[in-house]
Amino acid sequence: MDMLLEALFSILTLEGLVTILVGVTAGLFIGALPGLTATMALAVLLPFTFTMSPLQGLMALGAVYMGAIYGGAFTAILINTPGTPSSIATTFDGYPMARQGRAYEALAAATISSVVGGIVGVAFLLLLAPPLARLAVVFGPAEMFWVALLGLTLVASLSSGSLLKGLLGGCIGILLSTIGVSPIGGETRFIFGMPALQGGIALIVALIGLFVIPEILSMAAQGRGALPESGKLEGGVGSAIRKMSKHIFGKPINLIRSCIIGQIVAIIPGAGGNVTSLVAYNEAKRFSKDPSSFGKGNVDGVIASESSNNVMVAGSMVPLLTLGIPGAPPDAIILGVLLMHGLRPGLDLFTETGVLTNGFILSMGFAAVFLLPVGLLGGRLIHRVVVKTPFYFLLPSIAMVTILGTYALRNSFLDVGMMLLLGTIGYFLRLIGIQAAPIVLGLILGIIAEKGYVQSMLMSIADPIPWLGLVDNPLSKVLAVLVLLSAATSLLPAWLERSGRMAKAKPDEEDKS
Amino acid sequence: MIVRLNTDLAAGILGLAFAALLWLPREELGRLSIIFPRAMILVTVLLSLALMVKAFVKPAARQVEIEGSPLRLVIAIAILFAWWYAIGVLGFLLATAIAFFGFTWFLARIEIPVSARRLAMWVPIMALLIGVFYVAFTEVLSVRLPAGIWS
Repeated sequence: MDMLLEALFSILTLEGLVTILVGVTAGLFIGALPGLTATMALAVLLPFTFTMSPLQGLMALGAVYMGAIYGGAFTAILINTPGTPSSIATTFDGYPMARQGRAYEALAAATISSVVGGIVGVAFLLLLAPPLARLAVVFGPAEMFWVALLGLTLVASLSSGSLLKGLLGGCIGILLSTIGVSPIGGETRFIFGMPALQGGIALIVALIGLFVIPEILSMAAQGRGALPESGKLEGGVGSAIRKMSKHIFGKPINLIRSCIIGQIVAIIPGAGGNVTSLVAYNEAKRFSKDPSSFGKGNVDGVIASESSNNVMVAGSMVPLLTLGIPGAPPDAIILGVLLMHGLRPGLDLFTETGVLTNGFILSMGFAAVFLLPVGLLGGRLIHRVVVKTPFYFLLPSIAMVTILGTYALRNSFLDVGMMLLLGTIGYFLRLIGIQAAPIVLGLILGIIAEKGYVQSMLMSIADPIPWLGLVDNPLSKVLAVLVLLSAATSLLPAWLERSGRMAKAKPDEEDKS
Repeated sequence: MIVRLNTDLAAGILGLAFAALLWLPREELGRLSIIFPRAMILVTVLLSLALMVKAFVKPAARQVEIEGSPLRLVIAIAILFAWWYAIGVLGFLLATAIAFFGFTWFLARIEIPVSARRLAMWVPIMALLIGVFYVAFTEVLSVRLPAGIWS
């Protein structure tokens, strides 16, 4: 407790608060640019922290991380382009809301949810780090395989229409993830004689291609901007915040559930904000009284996605600070900074350098609070730019930024071509009912599933039935049952609808009322 | 534009084609490298076949709608790929200047008449936009952009 108070006083200085404010602002603007991820924001701003003290440097990077994850929501809502992979699920309802003239509502919901999510994540990190970290340690290959499959059951709810096409999209994504060097065997696969493909298809390349390019092509074909002129805004920022605050805190169950999901997924190493937000979105839809409104501008989808991905920022630090395992890609940079300053993850971090560690954790809480003023002012600015710019300037500008962002990832010209190719194919796939979201989900989870599956097979190679190694301990059995339950509950609404029971149930309910 | 197409059949054929693309050129890969992709290719084939059966038994939609002008769609795709190709040849700055100008002119024509005077007025705006992003990426983010024939 003394350490916590000492840490609090050490960051409550003008220098400390300005550092957090500047970090959040810089992170927000970088995160809002499609193609520039939170990892990239941290990597770009890392050299600026070299001259700072360890605490100030960590505070700055924590604030940048928080701001960048939140910043991804702006472009997700305004131009249907997730600024960071963590905002994939925000596009599902945020963009339809913006197109209905409810952009401020979506931005206000994203802001409030991000602030709450960020603070909850910090509280979880402070209070539950040791026991949660102990749970994360027992996740072996088999458990990771089941976690990946659990994520893949989301395909059913992301397929919007045809389950078979959604599953096919998921399989295409998984197969795309197998391009390049095999994670276990070490051999190169499916590169078709192109050495540049050895590194595989980068997630962000596929993400930009599948989400941005079809939208650019669609807008160019229709000769329209990202947001309709007629329905740009309803009310002002103030009324949107009041309305959304009432909605979020009036029925906080969605927020609470999403925060808890965000924390649970965040402590699993490698899961990342994209998986977190997709799982939370799926559960929000599943528990909703009106699941059919999701994907058409239901604000609960934005709340679920944005609260969970901001819980992940601090939540993913649990395995990092206790075990030295980055919970998400940006955490790897934070780990690098810790090591650079001679700080080794583990018990010492909470005892010998407890003031520094607690100061870093608390600074992320302050960064979450700063999201509110910075986000609302920045949100107005970014919204104005998107709405006021004529579409014939906006489209080439978005195309230029996506080309630049894709190229800058790995200085790869092939990545840009791959992004354009995937995007063009994605446009036509969308026409025949295969959406981008299941493909991206397959791409994210395919690598985790393959590692878990092949490692489990290797470990059980001497057994008569090797695949039983996937369910040889209680935790993997529990996860396998969860996968089956999740798949069943995803399929249930479709089955009920098809069998006509749901249609029959509705008139009965009306009769009762 | 409405195109008559059985979407289930199209998705099934596409799935089979993609599976074949990864199955046919299979080199001599070790078991550890191929076990997972092989399983996924099999699942993809089964799903594709299921979609093809569904296409004849209970098809989902028999037409697709391309919103807007298909010609504009094709031209937009061509511009994006030409932009990418030109960056390799002419370098980022020159290729982007030409592609940005061309793309803006092409899109603006849909909404308003584009006179030479109006185009001339847009040049400084476009130069500023391209310049800001070029400087931000090369100087601030230290990204080495392709220089093409100027390297």
